[in-house]
Amino acid sequence: MNRIFPPDARNAPAAVTAIFIPLGDRSPVAGLVPGARFHPMAAPPLRLLTAVPLCDGHDSAITTINLELARHGIEVIYLGYHQSVAAIVRAAIQEDVNAVGLSSYNGGHLIFFREVVRRLRAGGGGDIPVFGGGGGTITPADARVMQRDGVDRIFFAGTSLDRIMAEIKTRYARPAKPARKLKGDRALARAITIAETATFTGDTPRSSGGAKPRAQVVGVAGPGGAGKSTLIDELTSRFLQKIPRGRIALLANDPSHPGTGGAILGDRVSAIYAQDDRVFFRSLATRGSLTGLSAAAPAAIEILRNSGKFDLIFVESVGVGQESDPFNVFHGRKLVDTVLYVLPPHYGGRIQLQKIALLNGADLVVLNKCDDPRAHAAKAEIQTRLDQNQRGQRLHATTAATHSDPGVDRLFAAIAELGGLDPARGGEKACQMEVSP
Amino acid sequence: MSSLGRIADSVVAYNQFVTGEVARARANKKYAGELRARWAKIRQSVEWTQSPTGTKLPRLALPDTDEPGAIAAYLFGQGLPGEFPYATAAYREMYLERDGGETPGEEPMRLFAGLGLAEDTNARFKYLSRNQKSLRLSTAFDGPTLYGLDSDHEGVLGKVGEGGVAIDTVEDMLRLFAGFDLTRPDASVSMTMNAPAPAILAMFIAAAKRRFGPGCLKQLRGTIQADILKEVQAQNEVIFPVDASLRFLCDMIEWCVPNLPKWYPVSISGYHIAEAGATPVQQAAFTLANGFTYVELLRQRGADVNRFGPRLSFFLDCGLDVEYLVLGRVCRRLWAIGLRDVFGADAKAQILKLHTQTSGRSLIAAEFQNNLTRTATELMLAYLNYTNSCHSNSADEPFTTPTEKYALLASHAQSILLEESGLFKHTMNLFGGAPGLLALERQVEQGILDVFREMDTLGGVIPAMEQRYQRSKIQEAGHAYEQQIYSGRRPVIGLNRYVTDEPLPHVPLARTAPRRQRLQVERLTAFKKKHAKKAPAALQRLENVVRGKGNVFDELLNTVEVCSLGQITACLTGVVGKFRPMV
Ligand code: B12
Ligand SMILES: Nc1nc2c(ncn2[C@@H]2O[C@H](COP(=O)(O)OP(=O)(O)OP(=O)(O)O)[C@@H](O)[C@H]2O)c(=O)[nH]1
Ligand SMILES: [Mg+2]
Repeated sequence: MNRIFPPDARNAPAAVTAIFIPLGDRSPVAGLVPGARFHPMAAPPLRLLTAVPLCDGHDSAITTINLELARHGIEVIYLGYHQSVAAIVRAAIQEDVNAVGLSSYNGGHLIFFREVVRRLRAGGGGDIPVFGGGGGTITPADARVMQRDGVDRIFFAGTSLDRIMAEIKTRYARPAKPARKLKGDRALARAITIAETATFTGDTPRSSGGAKPRAQVVGVAGPGGAGKSTLIDELTSRFLQKIPRGRIALLANDPSHPGTGGAILGDRVSAIYAQDDRVFFRSLATRGSLTGLSAAAPAAIEILRNSGKFDLIFVESVGVGQESDPFNVFHGRKLVDTVLYVLPPHYGGRIQLQKIALLNGADLVVLNKCDDPRAHAAKAEIQTRLDQNQRGQRLHATTAATHSDPGVDRLFAAIAELGGLDPARGGEKACQMEVSP
Repeated sequence: MSSLGRIADSVVAYNQFVTGEVARARANKKYAGELRARWAKIRQSVEWTQSPTGTKLPRLALPDTDEPGAIAAYLFGQGLPGEFPYATAAYREMYLERDGGETPGEEPMRLFAGLGLAEDTNARFKYLSRNQKSLRLSTAFDGPTLYGLDSDHEGVLGKVGEGGVAIDTVEDMLRLFAGFDLTRPDASVSMTMNAPAPAILAMFIAAAKRRFGPGCLKQLRGTIQADILKEVQAQNEVIFPVDASLRFLCDMIEWCVPNLPKWYPVSISGYHIAEAGATPVQQAAFTLANGFTYVELLRQRGADVNRFGPRLSFFLDCGLDVEYLVLGRVCRRLWAIGLRDVFGADAKAQILKLHTQTSGRSLIAAEFQNNLTRTATELMLAYLNYTNSCHSNSADEPFTTPTEKYALLASHAQSILLEESGLFKHTMNLFGGAPGLLALERQVEQGILDVFREMDTLGGVIPAMEQRYQRSKIQEAGHAYEQQIYSGRRPVIGLNRYVTDEPLPHVPLARTAPRRQRLQVERLTAFKKKHAKKAPAALQRLENVVRGKGNVFDELLNTVEVCSLGQITACLTGVVGKFRPMV
């Protein structure tokens, strides 16, 4: 029977409103409604990767699916549209997701899905199921071929959102177990997943031993929308250009939705330079932690540092307020080697500037969005504020949104110097192409 | 305040002006007399015609009134067809038949077609144009071409020729239009092409010059979409950073205005915005706002609105929601007021020329033959808005690039409405001024102005875009739309209502065979080999122009002679960088 719509299409799920956090509204504690309570859950949320294939910009279905998944308490790592097989496989492995969901409309799905499955297998992610949809463009006959090629499930046109959600939740819920067999980036990724689960269930994350490797860990903080992610991505491109060998790791913390516990982790969409095997990118949902980092972030930092694979590690906190201290600069053990604080020109005024505690604690202070006319006055004001600290802090001025901004070049040089990265010699760690088959 | 705030104000002021004129017409005897005299003249000038059954009909229908207030409300509020504020229509006669049925008006049919390699699409063009009166070739490109990649780019082979035609080089462009006389006065070529539009149009021009000689530039008529703002907001085919993309676009427009006088170098599109999920009001508001933004950008570069204004064109979706009954009308009116009163444009630059496509998203897989009825209904709405051109979707839309059978049915749907039925050929202005239309127009216009004001508070279109405003609104609306379907709130026959258990019939698919895809790669390889010596220098010249201040389009006309699309894209991203996408 070729029924392509399900009989349950008539059943009415309760109306809900879309979860949307516009960029501009993401401060001070990004996306969290004050007083919102996290529902304690029995199991940690499912983590899924979603994406749209190369040369395809049909993202309406997947953005709807993403919103629904998050509404159902699932963490979605969204990679975006026009994504290559290599990028999808790399992300699936680094994010250690439960499954990969693809939405394909522009044809060629037989080949594309098959390649994703094949390269996942080759790259140590053969246990990650691949599912997807593409409305009427994927016919039942196609789906049979795809299933034979290892695709787990195709959702045809007309399948109700509720049915899709119910099926995903039952099919892909599986606890992450420590797995000795896993190798390379997947092993690293799994260690982070285990740490996340441990934090979730209240266990103390495994503390890591081993010699202190020399990766430099840079914590990046700043108000919501200051340009932290953009800046990190530009710095990543400088690393890739200037340091011929070695690897870089990025740890992106993003808020969970307070009501549902789900999250749409979209940082990978804009990280255009992270699409490289020399980059390890991991998204962490805050899961109710209000510190600006996931509770598992300290463990994740240690795992990355101790892996000995990275020369440079960036940790992005969610947008933070005046008193926040995500990297423990003032209390306890500092989580990172270097704290980089990013400000946009529209921070308010002198008074607001005085109140930002991290301006005292930061090792590097960046005024981003210098294409904004207010930047000129802001520069002087911030430098005065830094001079009061008498720590010799120098203000870096950047326009991260511009291609090859010289300010970013200088900032990268400063970071490289602090971390002992020698552009001429290259990074210490050998480049390990873990993913590409 | 961004110009959107001023535009909203100008519309409010214009509406007050209309109200004022109505009051004056009622209070001031002299003015009332003048209006009546003018009205009488207009009525006298209306020609009469006869239906095939012998009924005498006016070629222009006018409100049946002699009351000065009503006359003022109609003339200023709606406007006669072809007159400010153009709510009724852009031109006086539109689809009316002329010379006793011998000649049609401008034929609106533009059937979007593209599949396989250039010669496959060429064959489809021939098939379609055999069944149409004028020569209207509207081109759909495949995914790799839309993203500026060559057919030999890693990982794209499976997408070559899928959903559109694969074009890598000027030689493919020659094959695409082989056998068609593009200099014919009734010939018009459209290209749905955005980020790589300058390179593709350059290939088109280069190919046309080879066939028809350099003089053909004055005769080539058509449209290239090239609307990069809605790509950022909805269709997701952006390659270069926004500022670089806008420069490439403006360079192309500035080149086309004097050199390609019958060409529309941009089609400001709401279709993709709506298909991605936006409501009709959002579609109209975002699209008009994008249009106003282009006007501002071009003026900032010193271009004259009266020269480029008439070369801007628009493209809207037409679905089954009731707002579509008036969407085109309202857009024409707002555009005219904004251009006249905020940008000081003269009459020719005030007219919004509209292409419409019926809604693809309203067509579903279940009981797919119903799609014929959906498309026909939407076509009716599109014509009632007096769209200047129109594409009708095929019933097999949910499954595949249209196959011949359904593409022809879609074409005939337009011919049946315009040629066979008497609805549009005898009398112009069927419903204008009707109470239902007026009520809808008012509500839709208000909704659009509200969105303008919201975007204004965000700093205008581009700042709003950087804050993800349009994208988030579209995604929210798209999500709500699907929820409405699956909750039954939005009836869809055969999906959530009157569902039968009929199995899905086997629908033939138009797919490109792997050996054809490999053939495209072979052709490309041969082209690259042939020009291997000259290409590097050509790319270097292009790079120099991009780094300098010259007109990039002007140089592209040279580059395309020896370089492929993918080579050009790579060269450009090397200089200006890549677009950083947003969720
Ligand atoms: C909307 C649409 C567009 C919009 C897209 C807007 C956007 N940002 O998404 C616009 C107008 C921009 C567009 C453009 C194009 N389109 Co289009 N488009 C469609 C359309 C009408 C609907 C697709 C859709 O989003 N449906 C809504 C979703 C929610 O419902 P659904 O498809 O039924 O999916 C269900 C399930 O499959 C499931 N699902 C889907 N994906 C996934 C993924 C996961 C993980 C899961 C769990 C479930 C799931 O969820 C849904 C609910 O049950 C289809 C035709 C049609 N009627 O289906 C053509 C269609 C897909 N487009 C097509 C083409 C060719 C194009 C263009 C290439 C045209 C061109 N040459 O320029 C461009 C390319 C754009 C690009 N950048 O890639 C073709 C593809 C043909 C083919 N494969 O052979 C189609 C089939 C139309 C046609 N017949 O020509 N398009
Ligand atoms: N004009 C301008 N915009 C920038 C610059 N850098 C970043 N942006 C834009 O600012 C917005 C926010 O950038 P992100 O990098 O996401 O900021 P963020 O600090 O990571 O944001 P959150 O993680 O949400 O707190 C995006 O629209 C960027 O394109 C810049 O130098 N100039
Ligand atoms: Mg960020």
